Amino acid sequence: MRTIIRLVQKDAARFLNDKRAVILTFLVPMVLIIIFGNIFGGDGGTRGKASLILVNESNSIVAKLFETKLDSSKALLPVKTYVAENGKDSIKFDEETAKEWVRTGKISAAVVMPKDFFTDTSTAIKFKFFYDPKNEIESNIIQGNMQQLIFTAIPKIIPILLQRRSISYLGKDSTSQFMKGIGNVVHQFYGESPDSFMKKWTQIDSASLFSSPKDISSEVNFMSNVIKFDSEQLVGKKIINPGLTRSVGGWAMMFLLFSLTGAATSIFEEKNEGTLKRLLCMPVTRANILWSKYIYAILLGVTQLLVMFIFSWALFGVEIFANFGNLLILIIASAAAAVSFGMLITSISTTYSQANGISTLLILVMSALGGSWFPTSFLPGWMQVISKGTLTYWSMEGFLQVLWRHSNFAGIAENVLVLLVIAFLINSYALIRFRRGII
Amino acid sequence: MLKISHVVKNFENINALNNVSLNIPKGEFFGLLGPNGAGKSTLMNIIIGYLEADSGQVYIGEEQISPQNIQLRKKIGYVPQEVSLYLELSAYKNLKIFGELYGIASKKLETKIEYVLDLVQLKDRKKDPVKDFSGGMKRRLNLAASLLHDPEIVLCDEPTVGVDPQSRNAIFDMLSELNKSGKTIVYTTHYMEEAERLCSRLAIIDHGNIIAIGTLVELINLLNRKDTIKIQKTALTQDKLSVLREMGMVNEFDFYFELMPKDGYEKNSAIFGKLEEMGIPNDFIQISRATLEDVFLNLTGRSLRD
Repeated sequence: MRTIIRLVQKDAARFLNDKRAVILTFLVPMVLIIIFGNIFGGDGGTRGKASLILVNESNSIVAKLFETKLDSSKALLPVKTYVAENGKDSIKFDEETAKEWVRTGKISAAVVMPKDFFTDTSTAIKFKFFYDPKNEIESNIIQGNMQQLIFTAIPKIIPILLQRRSISYLGKDSTSQFMKGIGNVVHQFYGESPDSFMKKWTQIDSASLFSSPKDISSEVNFMSNVIKFDSEQLVGKKIINPGLTRSVGGWAMMFLLFSLTGAATSIFEEKNEGTLKRLLCMPVTRANILWSKYIYAILLGVTQLLVMFIFSWALFGVEIFANFGNLLILIIASAAAAVSFGMLITSISTTYSQANGISTLLILVMSALGGSWFPTSFLPGWMQVISKGTLTYWSMEGFLQVLWRHSNFAGIAENVLVLLVIAFLINSYALIRFRRGII
Repeated sequence: MLKISHVVKNFENINALNNVSLNIPKGEFFGLLGPNGAGKSTLMNIIIGYLEADSGQVYIGEEQISPQNIQLRKKIGYVPQEVSLYLELSAYKNLKIFGELYGIASKKLETKIEYVLDLVQLKDRKKDPVKDFSGGMKRRLNLAASLLHDPEIVLCDEPTVGVDPQSRNAIFDMLSELNKSGKTIVYTTHYMEEAERLCSRLAIIDHGNIIAIGTLVELINLLNRKDTIKIQKTALTQDKLSVLREMGMVNEFDFYFELMPKDGYEKNSAIFGKLEEMGIPNDFIQISRATLEDVFLNLTGRSLRD
C-alpha cells in the first residue's frame, strides 16, 4: 500500500508541476461555470436582457400600460430613443428607423404599437413586430417574452374586446340583449348586480388596468382571438441553411484561434528541439523568425477558414459566393487578429506548456463571451462590455454581416478595422518582446 | 581568427562566465575542456550570437560579433549539442532549408548538399525522414548542416554526447580532415579522451573561469608528477584506504582509486614500498601516464565528472 501511495504522490507532484494540466483541469471549468452560471442559472436579475426597439405611436392608455410593463420586464430591454448624428440629441424611434436598425443588424427586433393599436372602436389590439433571426435562440426568446408580456399585461382588455367583437358580429341591439340576459343569469346564480357586470364588460377602468390581476388564466385563453400580432422577418428570409449560416462564423473563429495559436507557439517547439538556436546562428534575426511564423500562420488560417466555408457551402448550402469578396477580407482580418493573439501568448509565456494552458483558457473564454456558443445578449451587462473586447465578437459579428445580411464592405468596415487594429497593437507588443530576446 | 576578450555573463545569481579571454589562431583545433555547468556552452552561445555577453567582446578576424552583424555568422559553422534538425523532414530537405537560409545559390547548394552528405556518409539516406535515423546518423547530419556554407570556423558544442563509438570515431575523423583542410575548430567537451585525441591546444574551464591553457604537454607539465598510481578497489579495505589517504590525494573511480602522491612520495619506489608494506600485491597496482583528468583534478580538487 505504501508503494501505491508513493506512486500516487509521484503522479500528484508531476500534475502540480504541469501548469497546463492544472489550468485545464481547474481554471478553465471554473471560468466557464461562471459564464454559464450567469447565463442559464444564477440570479435572474443579473442576467442580460434582450434588447428590442419599442415604438409607441398610440395615445391609448392600453399602449401606455404595455409600455410600462415592458419597461419593468426582467427579460426584455426596450430601446425607445437613439442618439442623433450630432452626438447630443436623443431622437425617438419611428417605425421606419426601427426597421432600418433591424435590417442593418444594429438590433435583433422591434415592436411597434401603431396609432390604431387600440381605439374606441378597436375589436383587437394590434402589434407590429419586426425581427432578424440572425440568432435563432435570441429571436425566439424575444418573441416568447413579448407574447407572455402581452398575455399577462393586459388581461383586463379582454372583456371589452370580446364585447366589441360581439357587436361587430351580432349588432348592437342583439349584443346588448345578449349581455343583459347573461347579466341576469350571473345575478341569479352568483349574486353580482347586472349593472356591475355590464360596466366590467363595456368600460375601461384605468385603475384596475394597472393593478396586478389575481387570476388571469381563464382570460388568457381568449387572448389569441383579440390580439393581432403581425410579425415580419426582415432579414435572412432567403437563407438556405439559416442555422449553420448563423453559427459557422463563431465556430470557425474558435477553431482558427486554436490552430493559429498552435502555429504561433510552435516557436517553443523549435526552441526545445534546438532548431531555433540553429536558425539564430545563421544570417537570420529574431524578427525574421517572428514574421515568418506570422505570415505562415495567416496563410494557414486563411486556408483553414476557406476550407471550412467551402465545406459548409458544398455540404449544407451555406451561401458564401454571393458576397465572397467581403468574406475574404473578413477572413484575412480574422486570421491576422488570431495569429497576433497566438504571438502574444507566445511572447508572454516562458514554456510551451504555459503557452498552451493560457491559450486554451483564453480561447474558451473568448468563444463563450464573444458569441461563438450563444448570443452575447444572454450575458449580463458587464460581460457584454467585456465581450466587445474579444476578437471572437468582432469576427463573429462580421461573418454574420457578410453571410446573413450580405452586407457590403461598409457593413463590415468597423469589424475589419477593429480586428486589424487589435492585430497591429498585439503584434507590435509581441515583436518588442521577441526583439528583447524574451524567448 | 577568434578572439574572446574579457567576456562576462551572469544568469540571475549564477556567474556563468567570469572575465574569459581566449585567442584562437586560424587553423587551430582548439579544445575547451570542463565539467558540466563549467560555462562551455554559454561561451559557445555568445560566440554564435545566440546570447549577448554582459560585458566583453568576441571578434572573428577584425569584426566584432553582435546581434546586428548577422552576415558575420556566415563565417561560423555551429554544431550544437542537441540534434537541431527538423525530424519530420528528409535529410536533403533539412540541408536545403539551411543552405537557402545561408543564401547559397540554388545550383551551388545542390553540389554542396551532395558534398556534405558524402562527407558524413549519408548520401544513400538523403530522402529518408531524419526521425528514422539512428542517433549517430542524426549527429552526423547535424554536423553536415553546419558545414554547408563552408565556414571559416567550426564550433562544436559536445557533438558526440550519446553517440555510439563508431559514429563518434567517424565524427572525429571528419573534424580532423576539416582541420587539415585549414578550418579553425573549437571543440567543447567534458571527455578528456576526446580533448587529448583531437585538440592541438586546450583551455580548461571551471565555474566560468579559464584555469589553464596550453598544449596537452604544457598542461601535463603543470603537474609535479607525470604519472598516476591506480589501485584496484578489491585490494583495499577501509583501513588501507585511510593509510592511502595519508600518502596523498585519493580519487575514487568505478573500479579503482587513483593516488596523487604528496611530497615525500615523489619516487615510485617509495610508493611501492609503502603499498607493499600495507599488503597490497603488485598485480593490483598500475602506473599510468598523467592525463587531462589529473590536470583538472590537480587544479580544482575535483574530477571532470563531478
